[in-house]
Amino acid sequence: MSNIAGKAYAMNVITPIRWYMAWINRLIFLIAYRTPSTLRGLITLSLIHYARWVIIDRWKFPHLDPSQPKEDLHYSYMLFFSNFNGSWDQYVDSFTFAIPAGLDLFWKKNVRYPKSVPLTPFHDYIRHNQIDTDHYYNAYPLASSNDVKSAKHLKKKLIAFERAVRDAGPEEFLTKYHALLVEVQYDLGDMQPAPIVSLAAQAVDARRLLDAQRLLDAQGRR
Amino acid sequence: MANISGNAYALTVLSPIKNGCIGDSSYQISYADEVQSRLHGLGVCEDSPLAKVPQTYLARFFILDDVFLESTPGCDSFCNLWDILSIFKERFRLLALPREDHLKSRYLVFSSNFHGDLESYLRGMWSAVSADIKHIWEHCVAFDRVQDVEGFIAYIKRCQLTANLFFNGSTDDPLEEQLKALYLKQQFVKFAVSHQGLGAAELQDAFRAFIGRVQPNQLATPTWRPGQSIP
Repeated sequence: MSNIAGKAYAMNVITPIRWYMAWINRLIFLIAYRTPSTLRGLITLSLIHYARWVIIDRWKFPHLDPSQPKEDLHYSYMLFFSNFNGSWDQYVDSFTFAIPAGLDLFWKKNVRYPKSVPLTPFHDYIRHNQIDTDHYYNAYPLASSNDVKSAKHLKKKLIAFERAVRDAGPEEFLTKYHALLVEVQYDLGDMQPAPIVSLAAQAVDARRLLDAQRLLDAQGRR
Repeated sequence: MANISGNAYALTVLSPIKNGCIGDSSYQISYADEVQSRLHGLGVCEDSPLAKVPQTYLARFFILDDVFLESTPGCDSFCNLWDILSIFKERFRLLALPREDHLKSRYLVFSSNFHGDLESYLRGMWSAVSADIKHIWEHCVAFDRVQDVEGFIAYIKRCQLTANLFFNGSTDDPLEEQLKALYLKQQFVKFAVSHQGLGAAELQDAFRAFIGRVQPNQLATPTWRPGQSIP
């Protein structure tokens, strides 16, 4: 089990919402979806790769066969899945400090939502409703969300630069090369394995390395 | 549809797991625990089966055992209202208490963020890792009827939930494009650092050799592998 894959953390939160109030949250999400400028606050949190909110009506849990008992629930439920960089505390705190009003709006009608300020009850609420991930996959564990965005920008600039200097003399090349470095300086940065943000994740990694070593040793003895 | 943001897609799947246990009298394990144990046994990073599934940016599995009772204090307007009204009648105080819900099935939750449309993604998934799919979903309700890719697509669509809001804080480019860009970034940083202070002609020659080596317009190779965890 690990909520961490490289530099990404997988958060899963499920919270109840009164079924007759869920339409308000749906309306808020619809407005946010139709007018992306309302998500400007989220965009400033550049540590997020992807996030989603899903409301399941209490009568709409997947029912695939008559042998499966039908759910009989008092509440509808809201799922929140996020993929972000950094530690749990950094993420939750940055939400609270950067977009407290937006956060309160998205969880507005959830049962016993304590609001994002003050911090401690909000931490307790998220921890209480969070479910650990059993398997988490990240296509680029070495990269943060900002690395992905900056790499896209750098690639475009590098290809354009290569075309522009293909037939240039050395001095012209050098001038343009320096200009390129100035232009992309914010996109540069070495990508290495993530620092330790969770002792549990570090223990899982250590255990996996040990298992792999044991397997190699066993194969070597055969 | 809110599952889509540009060219990125948010797939959310809840597959009910059979109730009951497998095993004999000496050892029994519930179907859901068995599924969870299988998930824990999957390889990570480049060894994850999901690394073979085309266009997967980030994906996860977990078991939804049950929902939670909201027993912690909150500032829910309904509760506040009932609390105020309780000065008139005691029963209003009881109305402020959260109701207790329990699920009748445990669910395998699969969530994926990927590039492209759903059907192409599921076809790619089945074609790349059908053995792993069967291993993971084996104990889910009605999965025994899945025999081929069409059955798998139909099954996933029955279990799919529509997102109400999908936020894309990254890019929606094809995965090959993202991985190539990351590879180029890593390589160019090394180049820029190791070639500081060279003369113009020498630097130009080195840059030409660099471009010949990294092939910026070739997405297939050289590049990062999906899930690559070592630089």
